Amino acid sequence: MGTLRFEGKFVEVHDGDTIASALFRHGIRTFNRSLKSHRRRGLYCGTGDCANCLVTVDGLPGERACVTPARDGADVIRETGWPSTERDALAINDKLHWAMPVGFYYKMFVRPRWLWELAEQVIRRATGTGTLPVSARAEPKRTRYVRVDVLVIGGGVAGLAAASTAEGRVLLADEGMIAAGVSDTGTRVAIDRLAAQARAAGVEILERHTATGIYAGLSVPLVGPQEMVEVECRRVVVATGALEAHGVFSGNDLPGVWLARGAARMAAIHGVAPGERAVVVANTTQGAACAQTLREAGVDVVEVTGRVLEARGSKQVSSVSVLTPEGRRAYSCDALVLSLGWAPRDSLLRMSPDADVFGAGDVLWPGCGLQDAETSGRAAARGERLEPRLGDPWPILEEDGYVCVCEDVRVHDLEAAWDEGWTSSEILKRYTTATMGPCQGALCSRHLAAFTESKGAVPNAQGRTTARPPVRAPRLEDLIGGIHEVIERRTALHDLHVAADARMDHSGVWMRPGHYGDVDEEIRAVRERVSIMDVSTLGKFLVGGRDARALLDWTLPLEVGAIEPGRTRYLLALDEAGYVMDDGLLAALGDGTYYLTSTSGGADRMEASLRDWADRLELHVHLVNQTAQLGAINVAGPNARDLLAELSHDDLSRTAIPYPGHADITVAGVPCRAIAVGFVGELSYELHHPRGRSGDLWTALLEAGRTWDIRPHGLDALDVLRLEKGHFFLAQDTMPDDHPAKLGLDWAVTMRKPAFVGKMALERMAGLPLARKLVGLRFDGTPQRGAPLTVDGAIVGRVTSCARSAAVGHPIGLGWIRTVDGEFPAALRAGGPTASVVATPFYDPSGVKPRG
Amino acid sequence: MAELRARSLAVVLCAADPAALDALVAPGHGARMLRTARDEALFVAPPDVAPQVGREVADRIAAMDDDAVTLDVSDGWAAWDLTGDDAAHAFSYLSQLDAPIEGAFVQGDVAHVAAKVLGTPSGLIMLVPAYWRAHVRERAVRDASAREVLSP
Repeated sequence: MGTLRFEGKFVEVHDGDTIASALFRHGIRTFNRSLKSHRRRGLYCGTGDCANCLVTVDGLPGERACVTPARDGADVIRETGWPSTERDALAINDKLHWAMPVGFYYKMFVRPRWLWELAEQVIRRATGTGTLPVSARAEPKRTRYVRVDVLVIGGGVAGLAAASTAEGRVLLADEGMIAAGVSDTGTRVAIDRLAAQARAAGVEILERHTATGIYAGLSVPLVGPQEMVEVECRRVVVATGALEAHGVFSGNDLPGVWLARGAARMAAIHGVAPGERAVVVANTTQGAACAQTLREAGVDVVEVTGRVLEARGSKQVSSVSVLTPEGRRAYSCDALVLSLGWAPRDSLLRMSPDADVFGAGDVLWPGCGLQDAETSGRAAARGERLEPRLGDPWPILEEDGYVCVCEDVRVHDLEAAWDEGWTSSEILKRYTTATMGPCQGALCSRHLAAFTESKGAVPNAQGRTTARPPVRAPRLEDLIGGIHEVIERRTALHDLHVAADARMDHSGVWMRPGHYGDVDEEIRAVRERVSIMDVSTLGKFLVGGRDARALLDWTLPLEVGAIEPGRTRYLLALDEAGYVMDDGLLAALGDGTYYLTSTSGGADRMEASLRDWADRLELHVHLVNQTAQLGAINVAGPNARDLLAELSHDDLSRTAIPYPGHADITVAGVPCRAIAVGFVGELSYELHHPRGRSGDLWTALLEAGRTWDIRPHGLDALDVLRLEKGHFFLAQDTMPDDHPAKLGLDWAVTMRKPAFVGKMALERMAGLPLARKLVGLRFDGTPQRGAPLTVDGAIVGRVTSCARSAAVGHPIGLGWIRTVDGEFPAALRAGGPTASVVATPFYDPSGVKPRG
Repeated sequence: MAELRARSLAVVLCAADPAALDALVAPGHGARMLRTARDEALFVAPPDVAPQVGREVADRIAAMDDDAVTLDVSDGWAAWDLTGDDAAHAFSYLSQLDAPIEGAFVQGDVAHVAAKVLGTPSGLIMLVPAYWRAHVRERAVRDASAREVLSP
């Protein structure tokens, strides 16, 4: 026992309740309003097949109340109607059918053109179902794979019989819980017996996992509450059962009209009578059983056979007319229970003509008994294809009534569309939107086929419309399952950073230390003493082979041949449009071999580009991506060389390791390629070394660095340090269409080279005036990153980086600006603070410090 | 149930002309040659023989491609042994690849990352770039152990 909160009121919840049963017991009869006409809609199928009972639960819209367990403390609201579902002013639409004929949105509001934009907003507000919880972050669902021999979809008698018979690895998936909602004792006993057999046979059973489609392969996605499961299998048994046929007659959508199984479940499982006086139209044996169940629940039952002609009522059904064998009869009642025949849930079967997909049970033999269900399940598991038994004839459509209750499509609408010339099932579907609602035609696709056939459509224009995935409406988080799964790369030093209480941040695909507790102190350590940073995330490539230089000469806009062995050069990588793709360093190792580093986030693209060009130009190049193999630690600060001298016997002089340049040295017994760099504007050495030795090297540097009160620094400190040097972060400070001139990097491009990737584009763009560029900014306050830069109120740019710099003495930043009247503005506003365009670097403008 | 254990392996990379790799006689020392691309091969061996394998590969390939690159890249790979009767079944929770039979190898997506998978007498060896070492273990424990096909 418990309570849920329903539109501000507390509703008692009994054990085993669904949200629908709890609300129905509480007296709620209208669960929804229809899409266009805003007619009242109540519980109908009770099996999760129709869309009448969609509610918002704990902020999540579109939950099917009849199959969603009621949880203590749940917050439930209805989704449609204005100002409320119960008192809906938009119900006036039900009197305005003349104004909203079928397909009206294709014909009206066409001219003037602005009218449609207005109308669309009104229509969207007036229709629709729930509201997307845009402020709540949906947790991405994980995705996993399963390979099995046989996948059984459906955990009823046929499905369990198939699963317990199938050989090899067998997986059974059911969108509900096994045996939940089964009110018939005989069926329950059979399910319990077969479930025990299946489990004993080692069958894996996934409950609350919905198969949304069958793809070639065979591949079947299963959507579970917390995961997406991609199943690959050799055989699929579809045992999804059947639902009771939807009845189409005037008033068929009134609250109080039930399909029999839903009514029986409500009475037998939840102990809630669906009404006081029920008319049960029992054209099947299950209908008669349902009538008995209702009687046992205390309902005054009138059991009849025949065709329902009409149901009447305002808030709910109050009387019905039935054409019985004895003639037309009228009954007063508050529940009309329909057992008109069977409609197989065969969407999955129809979307998969694959030879290895088999049907079993009701989906193949609608309305079959327990023995037939078990027999067909076992046959399907063995790969025996059974002939479908003719189910019920096409359903009968009376002159009025809702064919598609999801989309509010009536018989009259189909007639009107037919008269307009839409004379096949497929185009009737598209024009009227029948079968295109949340139930995806589960109720009405046979009715649409029946209609076209009754109208005499040509053979290939009648029949069922194509079934396509998904058969159940998925959530957006299901559609992105796996895509946004975080697969983090960790450096070899990850555990040491965590042990040092570093705040670990996601930086692209990597986990990196943001800071170790005191960013200002980390910055001071770099500027005044010595500090180390884990830069293992950099892309690292060895480029060898006799055409290595040719490849690099072609792909990079610098004079590769001018780089002497032992020297290093800053590199820009451009794409064919001349836009900056990445940057890094190129070191000449001698013997025609080069070592190239790229940004952490750009490594994969750099590798792809180099390999692509090597293949296209048929160059003899050997490219080795050493990103995973090598760690890298940057030792930076005025005492960087002193620290290395404590741990190395190698020559560390400027002659041995020039700036920019590199040398192979041994530090603390670890073989390193030391590269003199200047990104943070101090004497700095990146030590590239075997990843397996990263921990030894890091620990030794920290130990030896105590003399200078060494501190490691993280990304937060790096952000300020590089900004003080005016260095950009690719993607943060740059735009996808930035060419070197926009970034002030013309010096990094050697246009005198005969050819390189992007050169032709740069030549063409050189003749165009520069309309936007990245500039250094000095502020009189600290703006927010991303703040617009304005001149006289007009936005002319954006702040891409900013920080209060202790070394410079005032807030600084980078940002891009556009020209105003043909000239770049020098004074701007960045929200509150004023900004002046100034030259970079802000710190050590002469660049002497990195040279040591 | 299957078992997952980290293991140490030597991995030597050879980037060379396709024709040279075609003609290359694999080294001894228990090394297995994995042809990972037209112009690239990995040699997987017990950890203590990496120098010998590297030397042999470098010497042999030099005769056919004088600027081939041979490197000990063991540090760049994390290796896992997936053993036991249920190894292939446990593997199916991590990858859509067919588990390779003994002596065979496949490469592709394992736990959503790029991997090489070798069939062994006792099951499988999975090789992934070292920066995904923790990820693969976490995924295996979460997806396969939770289904009781992998001992946690």
